[in-house]
Amino acid sequence: MIREFTEEQDELRTTVRKFLSDHSDETEVRRLMDTEQGYDPEVWQTMAAQLGLQGIAIPEEYGGQGFGWPELGIVLEEMGRALLCAPFFSSVVLAANTLLASEDTDAKQRFLPGIADGSVIATLAFPRPGTPLRVKAEQADGGWRLTGTAPLVTDAHVAQLLLVAADTGDGLGLFAVEAGTDGLRTTLRPTLDQTRKLADVELTGAAATPLGEPGNGAKTLARALDLAAVGLAAEQVGGAQAALDMGVEYMKVRVQFGQPIGAFQALKHMAADALVEVETARSAAYYALFAAEDDSDELPVAASLAAAYCTDAFVSTAHQNIQFHGGMGFTWEIPAHLYFKRARSSQLLLGEPEYHRAQVAERLGF
Amino acid sequence: MGKSTMSPDEAAEAARSWLSDHWHGTDDAAWHDALLSAGWAAPTWPADTYGRGLSREAARAAADEFRAAGAPGGFLDLASFHEHPWLHLLGNPLLAFGSAEIKEYFLPRLLNGEVSVGCLLYSEPGAGSDLAGVQTRAELDGDTYVVNGQKIWTTGGHQAKYGLLLARTDWDVPKHAGLSFFVIDMQQPGIEVRPIRQITGDTEFNEVFLTDARVPAAWMIGAPGQGWKALQIALAAERTGMGSMSSSMSGTAIKTGLRDAADDLVEAARRAGRLDDPQTRQEIVRIMSWRLTNAWTGRRAAAEIKRGPSSLASLGKLAMSRILHAGADFTYRMQGEESLVYDYDNPLACPVDRDLMFAFINSIGGGSDQIQRNIISERVLGLPKGYEPDKGVPFRDVRKGAATRSVSQA
Repeated sequence: MIREFTEEQDELRTTVRKFLSDHSDETEVRRLMDTEQGYDPEVWQTMAAQLGLQGIAIPEEYGGQGFGWPELGIVLEEMGRALLCAPFFSSVVLAANTLLASEDTDAKQRFLPGIADGSVIATLAFPRPGTPLRVKAEQADGGWRLTGTAPLVTDAHVAQLLLVAADTGDGLGLFAVEAGTDGLRTTLRPTLDQTRKLADVELTGAAATPLGEPGNGAKTLARALDLAAVGLAAEQVGGAQAALDMGVEYMKVRVQFGQPIGAFQALKHMAADALVEVETARSAAYYALFAAEDDSDELPVAASLAAAYCTDAFVSTAHQNIQFHGGMGFTWEIPAHLYFKRARSSQLLLGEPEYHRAQVAERLGF
Repeated sequence: MGKSTMSPDEAAEAARSWLSDHWHGTDDAAWHDALLSAGWAAPTWPADTYGRGLSREAARAAADEFRAAGAPGGFLDLASFHEHPWLHLLGNPLLAFGSAEIKEYFLPRLLNGEVSVGCLLYSEPGAGSDLAGVQTRAELDGDTYVVNGQKIWTTGGHQAKYGLLLARTDWDVPKHAGLSFFVIDMQQPGIEVRPIRQITGDTEFNEVFLTDARVPAAWMIGAPGQGWKALQIALAAERTGMGSMSSSMSGTAIKTGLRDAADDLVEAARRAGRLDDPQTRQEIVRIMSWRLTNAWTGRRAAAEIKRGPSSLASLGKLAMSRILHAGADFTYRMQGEESLVYDYDNPLACPVDRDLMFAFINSIGGGSDQIQRNIISERVLGLPKGYEPDKGVPFRDVRKGAATRSVSQA
C-alpha cells in the first residue's frame, strides 16, 4: 500500500532539509570528501543530539525514537539530495537493521543504543551478490575467530563496530567485531565516489561474538539487505531529484543561439523523461517504505523492485544532468559529477539492477 | 449566486423531507420532471440552473437518502464521466460559459437523457498537435453561422445528434483569440461523415466535412473569440475521464497489483517456452515495474489532487505510452509466428496484434508524447517555451498546416 505522508512526517522533512542545508552544503561536501575520515564528527553528534536522526527508526527499548520506515525514508531521501558525507547508511541502515533483523536480544541491547545516540558508528561487511564470501569463522578456546578479507566495506575505517558475514563451515554466520580487536585491520581505498568511503577489512584470527546462532545468519542477512535496499532506494530518489533540479535550473539560464537552452525540445524532452523516471522511482521507493513499515509479505519483492528501479533512475538522471551542463558538466568545479559518482557507487553497493530484477522474478515465483 | 453552504447533514435532511412529499414509489415521467425542477437531477449544479448548488460532499449525503428510499434517477452529476460523458462534455462548458438561452435549451435535455450521444469536432487535418490552428470557418449570416471546413478523429459521427464544434470566427487576431465554440446539429445536409479505416482494421473514427452547414448564433458557447477557453473546460472533462481508465486502449485489462502485474507477460513467456531465459525475465520485470510505478504514481497524484493542483497527474499518459508499446511488443514476440496472422475482418480475434497497433492511440491521441513532453517541461519544470513564429501574428498571416490527402473511405 502506498500511503500519503502525515503532516508530522512532512514537518520532519522540512526540519531535516534545513539541517542539511546548514551542515551539508556543497562546500562542506567538497571539504569532507577530501578527508580520510569522510565525515564531520561534530555534525554527526549534533545530528544525533538535536534531531535524533541516527535513532529515528530504532525502537525506544533500544534507545531510539521508535519511529518507522516512512520517517527513515524521508531522512535518507533528504540526505541523498544533499549528498551528505557521513556513515549514516552504514551505521543506521546496514548495521542497525542487521541487528534488528537478528534474534539476538543481547546484541541489540548492547549495540543499538550506541548506534541510536551516534556514539557508535557501525557497519556491515557482507559479500555483494556475485562475489564470494572470503571470511571464515572458526571456534577456538571457547570463542569465535574470524580470518579472511572483506573488500570495500562502507565506512569500515571509522567504524567502532563491524558486523561481519562469515562462513562457519555450517552455514553463514554473522559476527560482531569491535574496532581495536587484535587481528582486525582496515585499509581505506581511493574511491570513484569520494562522498562514500570504502575500506578493505582484513581479519587474521580476530575475536568475534556471534550474532544469534552461528551458522544461522543467512536469513538475518537477507532481511537486512532487503531493508537496506529500501533505504538506499530512498537515498537514490533524493539524489536523482537533486540532479534533475540542478540540470533544469542550469537550462533556464544557459543561453545559446539567442535563447535559454531549456527552450530546445531536444533538451526539454530529455528533462520531461527524466521527471517521469524520478517520480516513478519515488513511487517505487515509497511503496517499499510502506511495505517495510507494515512488515508486509510484499517486502522482498517491493524491495528488489525499488532497488533496481531507483538505481536506474538515479544513474540515468545523474548522467543526463552532466549532459545538460555540456562542457561545464565535465568540470570538477560544477557539482554534477558528484551526483554522477554517487549514483554509480550506489548502483553497485547492494548488487546491480539486473541482480535485483532477477530477484523480483524469483520472489514472484516465475 | 446559486452556491449553497448546506452541510452534508442539512442536505440529507432536505432530501429526506423532499422525498417524503414527492416520492411515491413510481419511476415515471412525472417523477423525472419533479427531480429536474427540484434540482435533484444534478444537485451540484447552481441553484438557478437546474441544480441546488450543493458541494459534492453534501450531494453524496443527499444521494444516500435517495438510495435508502429506493428513489432512482437523480444525482447524474455524481456519476463518472463514462456513465454520462455528454453531461460533462457539453454540460460543463455550458455551465461555465453558456448564455441563458442555450442553457435553457440543452441542460434539461442533458438531464432527461434526450441529449446523450454526441461527437467532437475539434481536430483538423491541418491542426492536430497545434489545435488552436484550426481553419474551419464560421461566418455570421443574419442570426446563423455558416460553417465550412473539415474535421477529423471524430468518434460516433453517424449516431450523433449534436457535435461540439471549434471553428474560426475571426482571422485578423492571433490564433487562440479568433476561435469560437458551438453546439451544432449533426443531422443536416451540409454535414458529411466518412469513416476512417485504422491500421487495426477497425473504423472507430471519422472525417467530417462541413459544407455551408448552419448553426444558430445562439448556440455558440461563450462569446465570439472565447472558444479556446470554453474548449478547455470540455477537454478537462475528457482528460479526467481518460485518466481514470484502467485498461489498455483496446480493452486489455492491465493489472496493477504487486503480485499480478506481470501475469500476462509471464504467461506469454511460459507459452513460448522462454520463461527460463534470463533476458526474457529481465524484460518482464522491467515492463512490470513500469506498470506498477505508474499505477502507484497515479495514486499519489489522486491524493495530491484532493489538496490542489497536481503536477504528477500530467506524467501518467506519457509513462503509459512505453508501458503499452513495450508490453505489446513483448507479447507479440513471445507469441512467435502466430503473430504473423491477423484477421482484418475480425480484429478482436487477434488481441496481441491489435494491442501492438492500439498502443499508438495512447502515444499519439489526446496530445502526442512529444506534446506531453513540451507540456511537462514547460508547466511542471518551468523550462521556457521554444520559438513560436505564430505568436501575436494575425492568423490570416500565419503559415498554416494543410491536409496532405483525405484518409477516409468514400
